[in-house]
Amino acid sequence: MGLFDKLAGWLGIKKKEVHVLCLGLDNSGKTTIINKLKPSNAQAQDIVPTIGFSIEKFKTSSLSFTVFDMSGQGRYRNLWEHYYKEGQAIIFVIDSCDKLRMVVAKEELDTLLNHPDIKHRRMPILFFANKMDLRDALSSVKVSQQLCLESIKDKPWHICASDALKGEGLQEGVDWLQGRQIYSILQVLVNIELYFLH
Amino acid sequence: MSGSENKDINEVNSKWLDAHYDPVANLYTFSSCVALADLNGDGESKLVVGDLGSGASNMKLKVFKGTSLMTENTLLDLPTGLVAFHMDQNEPRTPAIAVASGPFIYVYKNLRPYFKFTLPPLEVNELEQEVWSQAREDKIDPMSLKEMLEGIRNKAQVPLSVRSLKFLMLEHQDMESFVNMHKQQPIRRQTVITCIGTLKKNMADEDAVSCLVIGTENMEIYVLDPEAFTILSKISLPSTPAFMDVTGQFDVEFRITVACRNGNIYILRRDSKKPKYCIELSSHAVGLVRVNKNIVVGCTQETLHGCTQKGKKLWTTYLPASIVTMGLMDHKSRGFQAVLVGLANSEVHMYRDKNLVNIIKTQDVITSICFGKYGREDGSLIMTTKGGGLIIKILKRTAVFDEKDTTPGPPVAQSVKLNVPKKTKLYVDQTMRERENAVAMHRAFQMDLYRLRLTAARAYVKALESNLTPMSSSASEPLKMNAVVQGLGPSFKLTLNIQNTSVCRPSMNLAISFWYDEKLYSLKTSFFKIPLLVPGLNYPIDTFVECLSDKGISDVIKVFVLQIGRSNPLLTAHINMPVSEGMALC
Repeated sequence: MGLFDKLAGWLGIKKKEVHVLCLGLDNSGKTTIINKLKPSNAQAQDIVPTIGFSIEKFKTSSLSFTVFDMSGQGRYRNLWEHYYKEGQAIIFVIDSCDKLRMVVAKEELDTLLNHPDIKHRRMPILFFANKMDLRDALSSVKVSQQLCLESIKDKPWHICASDALKGEGLQEGVDWLQGRQIYSILQVLVNIELYFLH
Repeated sequence: MSGSENKDINEVNSKWLDAHYDPVANLYTFSSCVALADLNGDGESKLVVGDLGSGASNMKLKVFKGTSLMTENTLLDLPTGLVAFHMDQNEPRTPAIAVASGPFIYVYKNLRPYFKFTLPPLEVNELEQEVWSQAREDKIDPMSLKEMLEGIRNKAQVPLSVRSLKFLMLEHQDMESFVNMHKQQPIRRQTVITCIGTLKKNMADEDAVSCLVIGTENMEIYVLDPEAFTILSKISLPSTPAFMDVTGQFDVEFRITVACRNGNIYILRRDSKKPKYCIELSSHAVGLVRVNKNIVVGCTQETLHGCTQKGKKLWTTYLPASIVTMGLMDHKSRGFQAVLVGLANSEVHMYRDKNLVNIIKTQDVITSICFGKYGREDGSLIMTTKGGGLIIKILKRTAVFDEKDTTPGPPVAQSVKLNVPKKTKLYVDQTMRERENAVAMHRAFQMDLYRLRLTAARAYVKALESNLTPMSSSASEPLKMNAVVQGLGPSFKLTLNIQNTSVCRPSMNLAISFWYDEKLYSLKTSFFKIPLLVPGLNYPIDTFVECLSDKGISDVIKVFVLQIGRSNPLLTAHINMPVSEGMALC
């Protein structure tokens, strides 16, 4: 990210704020992931089921993330759609062990992708195939097959195998997301430049 | 409702997600032997199944977690019922499993055998006891033992024990060894459990301590203490219970609804030792489910009845196939309750009251249905099939069940009342007249009809005789002709198609003549000869007609087919000329 860092610094867009929605079924590890991404002194010890949603902030080398950590429980899932407009990126967390509810995750993802606030936007989506440490976890490839991720054509997406308890795989995902955000900012800048050239 | 719409309901707008289907899960069971319970207290419900195996071997208590089998324990005998219940106040609140099988209830805690309850022995026939004691002392031989037992069986009030009944079934050569093997043991008569349920002790909470309620073959119902397994209450029934539903609390007020083998449903209350209400069904019950305060019973006659808890019948629905199993769908978080009915045509119908709200098509006939929280998902539907398969479906979060009936039936428009005008005086008078003079009217009608027929026949004969038809009926020259008029006017093209319909005789010396009003029409040639007509071929003959009038009137042109040397035409055609539109427009 060194080059991007410098570039971002030169262009004066350092620490741009990005709103991210963290979605996924209950017990998939959304809060644990977000918790792990926070600086170690701010991390909570006990993770309890989220009620409604919570807002978390953390910074990476070049961006400042504001994460809407939504509750995944069935009765709160209808809250998700009210935050789609504000989100600039989505983190979708999947419990790789819960084979039974893979269909539910797929259903929620399909509903999400077909929502009018999401459908025509090129929002980057980062998938975490979480709980990779468990014995009977599906691989990230299997998860992406089960969720038919290859059919998402109009949005950039990326899937990472992760273990939120140890923090494995999280940085890879966040780096991808950061790269996407900077890429989109650069694209805007290039467009502005082209506009002035003409 | 059309077929495509039906398909729509079942597939495209399906309310269910197919979470798991294992056609070879090797699960052979019924709804009474399936339960969902959070056995480990970790917030994830497991599926507990009393597997009947092949019916003679491989009886197992299986526990599923997610899509895979977690543990299995061997059962000694066929399970007849299985319930999960809280038997103590210990923390964490993990339920115990009670499996009813034969005269025993096996209680498992943490999936380990914990306690075995045995039904109290029944009184033994004294005569039978005496006969066996004689046999023990070798005073009587097996043959006379058999005769005496048969005598007791036919007369006695108290039925024989299982041992004596088994003995009576034996062949002659096996009797001796059977007697020698069993004669030392005292005779015991025991009944077996037919159904099992749970009843909260004194609290209505979800995880409150529950009593076991069991129905037995000897027409009794016992309520057992949850900790000591002593009999708290005993109620006699007029028949053997087959299906049971229990609601309420033992210490406060409870209600036990039992469908019995005599085709009646009895409703028992806390304060009465006898059934309080009785519902007499027209056929035997095959399933019993309580929805809120109503009872829904499935019968062998492919019907579903709804009754109040006081035994008043509310509705009846006819099903497309016979019922295999029934289950309650209680979606607590949405406050939705419905009855799931597994049918012999591999469908599961969901009824809300008498309305069919959803149909689930399955790969095989469903033998057990269980709806509840499985894993972490509240709306899970677990079904096992006749072939031993396991189907798990999850209710979609967005699924909404319409109140209205989805049964294919007459369209709504059919029941809209038509605005029929009131009967006028004239109408009434006419009706009166018709009623009084029916015979005379009928006769008058018949006479006119005959006259009409006669006139028609006469006209027909006349037409045939004078060859006025476009079909020649004479045997010598069978001909057929039709005419086509083309054009809008004032010029028309007239095409006559002439065909010789004889088999092999060609027609010769024919001519065509036209007759028309010369003030209206002019024809280029009004008479011409026809060439030789080969049988079967169609000869088109064209001529042009000019309309002379500009008044927009038309007339008939008659075409005669003549044979040279004969005065009568062979056939006649009348061509109704169209109005000349060309003239009219000018």
